Amino acid sequence: MTKTLKRSVIAMMLSASAAALAIAEEQKAPAAATTESPRASKPHWAWQPAYQPFAPNVQKKDWSHSSFDAFVLSKIEARGLAPSPDADRATFIRRATLDAWGLIPTPAEVAAFESDASPDAYEKLIDRLLASPRYGERQARFWLDLARYADSTGFQNDNNRPNMFRYRDYVIKSFNEDKSYSQFIREQIAADEIAPGNQELLVATGFLAGYPDNSNSRDLVQRKYQITTDMVDTVGQAILGTTVGCARCHNHKTDKFTQKDYYSLQAFFANTAFDEKAPANKGEVEAEFLKEQAVYNEATKNIRARQKEIIDSVREAALKYHKERYLTDSRESIFKAKDQWNALDRWVNHRLDEVTNDAALAGFLRYAADDKSAPEHSEEIVKKADEYQKLTQELRKFQNLRSNKGSLTYTAATELGHSDAPPTHILFVGNHEKPLDEVQPAFPEGITSELPDIKPTATSSGRRTALADWLVSEKNPLTARVFVNRVWNQYFGKGIVGTVSDFGKAGDKPTNQELLDHLAFTFVKDGWSVKRLHRSILLSATYRQSSDYREDVAKADPENKLLAVFPRKRLEAEEIRDSILLASGSLNEHIGGPSVFPPIPANLIGGGNFNNTDPAWATSKDPQDYTRRSLYIFTRRSLPYPLLETFDMANPQQIHSKRDVTTTPLQALTLYNSDLIFQWSQALAGRVIEEAGDNEAAQLDRLYLVLFGRKPSEPEVKALHAFLDQHQKTIAEKAENGKLSIAVPVTTKAHFVDPLRASAFVDLVHTVVNSNDFVYRF
Amino acid sequence: MLIKTSRREWLRSAAYGVGGFAVGGMMPGGGWLGVPQANAATFVDPLASKQPHFPAKVKSVIWLHMDGAPSTLDLYDYKPELERLAGQDIPASFLEGIKTSTQGGVGKLFVSNKRSWKQYGQSGAWFSDLLPNLAQQADKLTFVKSSVTVGATHDISILKLNTGDLSPGRPSLGAWVAYALGSANPDLPPYVVLYGGQREPRAGSVNWSSGFLPAVYQGTAFRPGAQPILHQAPPELIGPQQQRESLDLLHQLNDIRSAARPQDSELAARTNSYDLAYRMEATAPEAVDLSKETAATKALYGLDDEATRDMGTVLLRARRLVERNVRFVHVVSGPIAGLGQGDDASWDAHRQLESNHSAHARAIDKPVAGLLADLQSRGLLDDTLIVWTSEFGRTPYGQSGDGRDHNPWGYTQWLAGGGLKHGLTYGHTDEIGLKTVANPVDTYDLHATVLQLLGLDHLKTIYLRAGRAERPTVVYGKVVNDILA
Repeated sequence: MTKTLKRSVIAMMLSASAAALAIAEEQKAPAAATTESPRASKPHWAWQPAYQPFAPNVQKKDWSHSSFDAFVLSKIEARGLAPSPDADRATFIRRATLDAWGLIPTPAEVAAFESDASPDAYEKLIDRLLASPRYGERQARFWLDLARYADSTGFQNDNNRPNMFRYRDYVIKSFNEDKSYSQFIREQIAADEIAPGNQELLVATGFLAGYPDNSNSRDLVQRKYQITTDMVDTVGQAILGTTVGCARCHNHKTDKFTQKDYYSLQAFFANTAFDEKAPANKGEVEAEFLKEQAVYNEATKNIRARQKEIIDSVREAALKYHKERYLTDSRESIFKAKDQWNALDRWVNHRLDEVTNDAALAGFLRYAADDKSAPEHSEEIVKKADEYQKLTQELRKFQNLRSNKGSLTYTAATELGHSDAPPTHILFVGNHEKPLDEVQPAFPEGITSELPDIKPTATSSGRRTALADWLVSEKNPLTARVFVNRVWNQYFGKGIVGTVSDFGKAGDKPTNQELLDHLAFTFVKDGWSVKRLHRSILLSATYRQSSDYREDVAKADPENKLLAVFPRKRLEAEEIRDSILLASGSLNEHIGGPSVFPPIPANLIGGGNFNNTDPAWATSKDPQDYTRRSLYIFTRRSLPYPLLETFDMANPQQIHSKRDVTTTPLQALTLYNSDLIFQWSQALAGRVIEEAGDNEAAQLDRLYLVLFGRKPSEPEVKALHAFLDQHQKTIAEKAENGKLSIAVPVTTKAHFVDPLRASAFVDLVHTVVNSNDFVYRF
Repeated sequence: MLIKTSRREWLRSAAYGVGGFAVGGMMPGGGWLGVPQANAATFVDPLASKQPHFPAKVKSVIWLHMDGAPSTLDLYDYKPELERLAGQDIPASFLEGIKTSTQGGVGKLFVSNKRSWKQYGQSGAWFSDLLPNLAQQADKLTFVKSSVTVGATHDISILKLNTGDLSPGRPSLGAWVAYALGSANPDLPPYVVLYGGQREPRAGSVNWSSGFLPAVYQGTAFRPGAQPILHQAPPELIGPQQQRESLDLLHQLNDIRSAARPQDSELAARTNSYDLAYRMEATAPEAVDLSKETAATKALYGLDDEATRDMGTVLLRARRLVERNVRFVHVVSGPIAGLGQGDDASWDAHRQLESNHSAHARAIDKPVAGLLADLQSRGLLDDTLIVWTSEFGRTPYGQSGDGRDHNPWGYTQWLAGGGLKHGLTYGHTDEIGLKTVANPVDTYDLHATVLQLLGLDHLKTIYLRAGRAERPTVVYGKVVNDILA
């Protein structure tokens, strides 16, 4: 063990130059953490229970607003520093609104807050932000990153998952209703066991059902293993902040996780399958879907009927052929008589059923027609195959009539009505074809000696309920710490533990463990209320500080670990798009519902080798859909929405723990050259003229108030006016043969005297939207 | 902090970067050691050119992915025994240890009656009648006739070929290269993807994804036509002078505000990224503009022939990118119209192999041969590595009777360019070309070897993710030293 450990450290360090080594040493960064023996007798800090630490003594006693502020302040003072003064109100409301909602505040909101002289002005603001459904939309986005949320399965076929929006809406609703985090977790892990029959809660298991999948996999036993692996890794990282997945192939190199621990966790999911066709309660979405689908069904009635007729005429042979195409161990289950099925056979056959449809059976026609030596080959079958193919092509012409707005079904975990689960084995180097000892569901021994209390129900093993109960038990040392740290990371750009999904020995140590424990302890004591956690941070003195540069802090604490100044931050991809939409008056604030498809460049919509009939991107018919908030844009795993992708949106293939902040010329090209951003800038220019009237100085004031919550400074006004004067001439010179094409503000209400000046103003607005002040929050 | 002494200098040259990372930055073969931090006063250009672990043999890689999996049994791997047994059932001994996806027989052994074979060059390498032009370049190639991989379906094996995993999420090889070596030309992305046909391959982007590495390392897909990058050009109504003035204003506005934040290099980098983007608006189209190429060069790549124009254009673009120091050019062969729907349009010849492969071989034969000849005549061949590869090969039998099925057990790939033993054939398959019997080379080994030629030790090319030291070859891979010069 020690030997392997050393080797891994050496391998890592060899990659570093002398200079980097020096830094690693100075920071006692990851490498240093591993010098601690993994077999040390004292448990790792994060595996010990969180306790309520004593509030430290501080000099600036009147500074604190929230109970945790003292923990921050004492460290600042210990370094001989003072915290920064409060940010001015305009900066603060822009910061808080972006952080809580993912949107910029309106000039009216800014003005109201600035002029609110009441002693509880901050409380009123924060409570207003937390009461808005926009809060749930924003917080949901972070959770969906962790849930590797997507509306498609991934892999090459990347089939639609038209039910997943229901899970997304469940997450938004949970945050808005301030559902306790413990209940939120229990529902996502085990709703089918704790709330059978309740669709509203059952869709919570979409958290588990979001695994990437490959419907044409021929190895169903392997698929089951891969799906289970994905679920365990996701739960391990998202909820427990552990890299327990490392122990799949070998005992964990730095943490006390054995392979046995790992497969014991897999055992909780051994009997888990998914029903992706459960009939959904009829509501507005379903009615709309039915209406649209009826048109398609009517138009294609004859084609589909004829197709069905053809398949029916060969159904038995086609099904046999289809089943025979699975690999050896899958076939063992598939060809077993139903009354002989064990738990694994049930899983395999359920899966087979989920992916078998007439389109899959049509593969038989092709084979029997093409293979002249096949026993089923005949002139008749060639005719049928040809006809079927023609019908498929015919059907494709009606593609745009198909509804892409949701579904009539929902997805939920199920144990297929049985309480007995297939056995789980430790697997040699993680290879599912090399099972070793059998294991039972159990919690990692290094963390707890507690045994799971598994109560099977008539239809389920009860295993996931037992796991969920342990995850959110007050004794669990990780769940609360990991979550409060994620929320901290959201506001301050870096967690108290920097490695937000790794609280193990190879991860970062907390910069302030008492602070972390105080937050975690308080969170649990407050009934796992997420809103109260957010409220305490948003109202804190720590969060109110100005982000202005301070030389003393830069010298004493260059990494700003102490938070003596507030860390400014680049906006996330969704914040940039949504805020421009809001500023331009185009944002469609409809909440929830099926994911939408705003237009994307035609060339991205997949050519080459695709073999299913779902178009990769069926642009929404309703233009209102183009301007929905970004979290409602269809997440196709293989086709990230281009405008957002460049700005480091989450990669939905696996759990995404933390947004990167990269700065690249492709971002500049996107924000400056995108026709969408330019159109929205035209609309924003129109709005500004409508609201400010003809006076140019008033227009500039208004523009800055809309985007930044402040008026432009004198040097800014000077630069902007100089630009307009010069730019107007430049635009005039563009005229060819006396004809001019210009972009003018989009407005129905206002009129502008001089179209050239107005066109220059559009370019000005477009430029200001591109500026650092817009893309950052300070 | 590490960069303190050179910060001023860095500020001047900084173009763009990853913000807020503890600077362990410019180490050979790996971005940074450390984790993101909230105070982004320290900031490093993630694409700054970095030193390799040891002197590199090549500067650039052209990765030629033949999409759909060609039958290398019909191109390079000549098997007289297969010709003898054609039409018969496969002797059971050959199938030992193989998990096939069909019950009750795998179909008869198949050989097209149109196939003929000849030896070429000093090495005497075999080529079939399908690749007459490439055969003329025989002595430039290093064959690996013992390739193995995992998988029965295209998607997961293509993922493994490019990222080393059967599930999406890991960085592609090109992303690792961009991460480890940075960019050698700040005016172009270091990792460019080119594809045949007019549209991106379906589900393509996961194959050039940066996975868990920052997005800045992902492949930039160049589109066909004059504007290769998405958002390459300003909106139609913004003239060049208008754009210039806007960017000047942007600079001014940013400078006014950042005066109070003298140490904030991330904001400075963002301001500078607009200058770089402005340059890229010109450099990227120029890099793929073939109008200044001579008629002779165009003919060499087959641009004068309908059948070869598509891939010829792609590969001539690839040469121009390599000339401009792009590190990794990832080429995906395109579908051919008229061969059928879906997979049938790619190399995936389960049926009618003869018509499928004659069309696909024709489409690439002259362009690939032209690329090799052109690189040599320009003195670029020794600095470039060309890898001709596919997700797997094809079986000597086929269910349909006139095609071949998927074969992950034994197939041929080749490499050409610097640092290799040219004309060498490494490893071989059994007598009917089904399974590798000597010197198996897995995708991990190929990746390790490509990195080796770029001067990177695959075991030391490391990215720390959530406490885990990740490397391009996962936990596998060995350099195929026997093929290296």
